[in-house]
Amino acid sequence: MRVIAFVKSILDPEAPPGAIRFDSGRAQGDVGQVLGPYEGNALELAAQIAEGSGGAFVAIALGGKEQETALRKALALGATSAVRVEREEGFHDPLATAREMQAAAEAAGGADVYVFGRQAGDWDQAVTAGLFAGLAGLPLVPIVQGAEVRGAALSVRREIQGGYEEGEISPPCVLSASNGPGTLLRLPKVKDVMMANRKPIEVRPAISPSGGFKVSDLRANAASRAGRRIEGDLKSQAEALAQDLRRVIPGIGGGA
Amino acid sequence: MRVGAIVRADDQHAREVISLAKTLGGADAATFALLAEPAQTRAGVGAVRGAVVSPDADLAELAAAVGALLGDSAPDVILIPDGPLFEAVGARLAGSLGRTAARDVASVEIEGETLRVVKGAFGGKAAVALEATGCAVLGVRQGASEAQELSELPVAMVDVPHTEPLLVQRRAVRDSAGDDLGAAKVIVSGGRGLGSKDAYESLREVATLLGASLGASRAAVDEGWATPSQQVGITGQKVAPDVYFAIGISGASQHLGGMSGARYVVAVNRDEKAPIFVAADVGVVADWHALWPELRRALTGA
Ligand SMILES: Cc1cc2nc3c(=O)[nH]c(=O)nc-3n(C[C@H](O)[C@H](O)[C@H](O)COP(=O)(O)OP(=O)(O)OC[C@H]3O[C@@H](n4cnc5c(N)ncnc54)[C@H](O)[C@@H]3O)c2cc1C
Ligand SMILES: Nc1ncnc2c1ncn2[C@@H]1O[C@H](COP(=O)(O)O)[C@@H](O)[C@H]1O
Repeated sequence: MRVIAFVKSILDPEAPPGAIRFDSGRAQGDVGQVLGPYEGNALELAAQIAEGSGGAFVAIALGGKEQETALRKALALGATSAVRVEREEGFHDPLATAREMQAAAEAAGGADVYVFGRQAGDWDQAVTAGLFAGLAGLPLVPIVQGAEVRGAALSVRREIQGGYEEGEISPPCVLSASNGPGTLLRLPKVKDVMMANRKPIEVRPAISPSGGFKVSDLRANAASRAGRRIEGDLKSQAEALAQDLRRVIPGIGGGA
Repeated sequence: MRVGAIVRADDQHAREVISLAKTLGGADAATFALLAEPAQTRAGVGAVRGAVVSPDADLAELAAAVGALLGDSAPDVILIPDGPLFEAVGARLAGSLGRTAARDVASVEIEGETLRVVKGAFGGKAAVALEATGCAVLGVRQGASEAQELSELPVAMVDVPHTEPLLVQRRAVRDSAGDDLGAAKVIVSGGRGLGSKDAYESLREVATLLGASLGASRAAVDEGWATPSQQVGITGQKVAPDVYFAIGISGASQHLGGMSGARYVVAVNRDEKAPIFVAADVGVVADWHALWPELRRALTGA
C-alpha cells in the first residue's frame, strides 16, 4: 500500500503559560518547534502500514522552513520521501489547507491510505483530515489507535466514547491517528536520524486557494484560579489536605 | 444566511445548539435529528427532519443518515454539537459540500454574508476570532449558548439509504475504566509524575477512599498506565466533577482544557512552579510517594 502522511511542526505545546505571546493575529515566542504529538501517532501508523504492506510512505508538510523538523522526523522513521509545500507560517483556512494537500498528494502520485494526526497543537482545529476526506470523496476513520495490514485490507482500531471499536476497511481511505496502544511513536535509530539529515526535501509551490476563514483577533486566555498552598512538613500537609478533602467530599472514610 | 442544526442525543448540549441556530437563523432555522427510534413530534425549531440510526451506528450509516436528512437543501451554516457526532461526520460533511469548518466554537455571529466565530487555539492558551464570507460547518462547544424552551413540533421522518458498514466485522468494546468520567462527582487523575504503572494503580485506593473515578493525563495514557478513554483534556474527556484531584500532572493547557469545568481542583506536584497550581483551588508541593502514606493515615485514621 502507498501511504501519504501529513505532518506538521508546531510551537512546543508544553511551553509554560506566558511563553507564547499572542498579538497581531500571530503566536510568537522563544519556544522551540516540535513535531505535534498526534502527528507522532500519525507517523507511527504510517510507518506500520507501509512496513506491513511492503509499500512506500511519503511525508508531506505545508509551511515554511520550520516544517523541516517534522519532515526530518518522518524520514528518520522510514518515509521514502518528504515534500514541503512552501507556505507562510501562521493560520490558514483548513479547507484551503485540505485543497493544498489534495494538490500535493496528486503531485506525489496519490496513495491508498492517507494518514493525518487527530489534531495539530496550534489552531486546535481537528478538521483537516475530515475536510480532505470529504473533498476527495474518501471514507474517513477518525481517532485511530492502531492498524494492521490484512492482505488488501486494514484492520483498524478506533476510539469511541468509553472504549473502542475494531473492524476492517479496504483502502483507499483516510485515517486520523490518536494516541493508544498501537500508535506509540517508536524511537528512531541514531543511524536513521543521521541518514534522514542528509536526505533531500522536495519543495513545491503552493496553489494558494482563496476563501474561508481569516484571523481577525487572537488573544491569550487568563488563568482561571488562584491557588491556595498547603505549607508545612509532610505530616501537617497531609492532615490539612485530608481536612480539605473531607470538607469538599462528604462521607470520606466514614468521617464527617 | 440559512442556519441549521444537526443533533443526535436529546440532551442539554443538543438543545443549546438548536437554540443557537434559532437565535441566528430565526424562523428559517432548521433542525435535523438523528433519532434512536421514529418520532412524531420533537422539541425543535423550524423544519424538523428526523432519521433513525441505531445507537451504535457505523460511520458510513451516520454519514448516509446526515446526507438523507440534508437532502439537497443544506443550510448555509450548519451547527453540530462538538463531540462524537462532529468527530464522525462534521468535517467530512463540510469537505464534501466544499465548505470550511471549525470546532471548539465558543460563539457564532452572522452579519449579512459575514460569519464570525470565536474558538479555542493553542491548546486553550488562547482564543481566536475567525471571519469568513459564506458557508461553514461548525462544531459548537457545550455551554456556548443557553438552551431555550423549545416547543414540540412535528417531525418529518426520512429514510436512510442502506449502506455497507465502513468498518466491516466491526466489534465495539466498552472500557469500564473510563466510561463514566463525564458524570463523575469526584475524579482522581494521575500523570507521568507517578513514575510507574504500579504507582498509577495505587491511585485506585485513593479513588475508592474518595468515592472517585480514575482519570489520566495523555502522558499517563502514553505510558500505558491508563486507557485512552480515561484521558482528560481537550482531546480526551471534558469533565465537570465537584472535585478534581490531579496527582503528578504538570497542568499543560491541553489537560486543563478538559477539567476547567470542575468546581474544586486539588493538585499535588513536587514542582512548585508546575502550571497545575495556577489552575487549582488548593495545591500541595510534595512528592506523592512520600505524601500518600501520610494522607492515607490522615483520611482513614489507620
Ligand atoms: C493537540 C494536543 C492535544 C493534547 N491533548 C491532551 C489531553 O487531552 N490531555 C492531556 O493530559 N494532555 C494532552 N496533550 C499533551 C499535553 O501537552 C502534555 O504533554 C500532557 O498533559 C503532559 O502530561 P503529564 O502532566 O502527566 O506529564 P508531564 O508534563 O511529564 O508532567 C509530570 C508532572 O509530575 C510532576 N512530578 C514528577 N514526579 C513527581 C512526584 N514524585 N510527586 C508529585 N509530582 C511529581 C512533575 O513535576 C511534572 O509537573 C495534548 C497535546 C497536544 C499538542
Ligand atoms: N500545514 C500542515 N502540514 C501538514 N499537515 C497538516 C498541516 N495542517 C494540518 N495538518 C494535518 O492535519 C491534522 C489535523 O490538523 P488540524 O485540523 O489543523 O488540527 C494534523 O495532525 C496534520 O496531520
